[in-house]
Amino acid sequence: MSRGVPFGALLRSEWTKLRSVRSTWWCTCLYLLTVGGSGWLAAASTDSSARAAIAVQTALTGFGIGQLVLVVLGVLAVTTEFASGSVLVSLTAVPRRTRLLVAKTVVVTAWCLLLSAVLAVVCALAARTLTAVPGGVQPADPEVLRILGLQVAAAGLVGVLSVALGAVLRSTAGAVGLGTALVFVLPPALALAGGAVASRVSQGLPALRVGEDAFLAVGTTWPVGMGILVAWAAATWIAGAALLERRDV
Amino acid sequence: MIELDGLTKQYRSRVAVDDLTVTVEPGRVTGFLGPNGSGKTTTMRCVLGLTRPTAGTAHVLGRPYRELARPMRRVGALIDPRARHPGRTAHAHLLALAQSNALPRHRVDDVIEMVGLESVAHDRVRGFSLGMGQRLGIAAALLGDPDVLLLDEPVNGLDPEGIRWVRELLRDLADEGRTVLVSSHLMSEMEDTADHLVVLGRGRLLADLPMDELLGAHAAVRVRSPQAPLLAAALQRAGATVRLQGDGSLRVDGLDTADVGDVAFEIGVRVHELSRVTASLEAAYLALTGDDVEYRAAVP
Repeated sequence: MSRGVPFGALLRSEWTKLRSVRSTWWCTCLYLLTVGGSGWLAAASTDSSARAAIAVQTALTGFGIGQLVLVVLGVLAVTTEFASGSVLVSLTAVPRRTRLLVAKTVVVTAWCLLLSAVLAVVCALAARTLTAVPGGVQPADPEVLRILGLQVAAAGLVGVLSVALGAVLRSTAGAVGLGTALVFVLPPALALAGGAVASRVSQGLPALRVGEDAFLAVGTTWPVGMGILVAWAAATWIAGAALLERRDV
Repeated sequence: MIELDGLTKQYRSRVAVDDLTVTVEPGRVTGFLGPNGSGKTTTMRCVLGLTRPTAGTAHVLGRPYRELARPMRRVGALIDPRARHPGRTAHAHLLALAQSNALPRHRVDDVIEMVGLESVAHDRVRGFSLGMGQRLGIAAALLGDPDVLLLDEPVNGLDPEGIRWVRELLRDLADEGRTVLVSSHLMSEMEDTADHLVVLGRGRLLADLPMDELLGAHAAVRVRSPQAPLLAAALQRAGATVRLQGDGSLRVDGLDTADVGDVAFEIGVRVHELSRVTASLEAAYLALTGDDVEYRAAVP
């Protein structure tokens, strides 16, 4: 009996799947344009800022909406397999389903992280060139680095969450709808609703922007915000893996 | 080798596969027959670990499918010719599959050539016809050069040339000692392809026997005589069932050709034709599954 397939082979296979459909490239272009474009606009319309961190935070505004594209990208990576029936072929080729889901999650998340890292640099450059800050925006400023790192990590977690939602719901409309509601609609809606309970719930949802500048939602400190996002992504992913293992296709 | 032991799959109110125990041997083409909804596809899905049986087991090469380390090298399957992302090219579809089992990249071009899809390999599969989808599905099944093949209705939608190609392909694969299980509801197809038959009706096993035996079991004797009424009466006395055919010949069930000849000789009637007619598989199959058709059109 030959040994199992190396995990790298699965990653290559999932990358081939991701890169060989147009929706990936549409989502990629849209993400780059939305986040990069609004970053430059936000920076350009902010003449001056008291601190480098605030200037960079402002330039990252576009991530708030832009990450919705990542929700679509992550969900589609799973649900199109169910919609087209190609999941039959995928699971026949790789009957160890959790392993398959891990590979898909790694590939989609890596792609989200890569794009977001590039965009974070672009947005930081926009802040550095377009917004006047006492002392300038220094690349080595730990506060700036933390903000950029958090944003990139949050985008990666949105990728994990979206793949997981796709695995749980199997339907594009359902998973994109629920994903959008969770990260984009409910947090600000509850924040606007006011009241202590609504605020608490708003803070407990996986909002797109992590930390004090919570993009319309009720802010929390960044470790709490990050913890909440990690918890949502992990819990949903585990549910997705469990359902994938148990259910027939 | 595929071994099913008491395989049962129950959906809410319907039993799709009912206590199926069958062994599919290597080195021959096993036809998997049954009317629509008789459980063929569900059985194949259970074998491939796509569907979890309610009871019983399905083993491939001695173990459950999900435990195979590099399944595509051992088992090739075609379950649904539409199971592919419409926006992906045929080449990318096969490449992703090959990579998932660490198969060499050149296998993709090999199987594309084998199934004759070279000219459309880099087209998106959205525009593929059912027949082209079948070829792509067969290409995917052959990617890992597997020992066991499961093909669900592989000739559905193929043109006559394609049907002949699949038939020869299955023959060759079986002759190389592989296990080939091919399902169909088109009996005429199986007649030229399969060596052995497994017949299902409403999820139950109706027959598991060599093709010759099924045809032989439903064979009859055809006899033509200018004194047909005399001969018919004598044959009936000898215990046969005799029916007058449209062309004036007699169809005799229950006696073999030698008996019929002897009866004719004893009563002194002239015989102009005496032959054994093997039932078409179609007829044999209908006789077998007559009571077990799940979906039947109402006869007005």
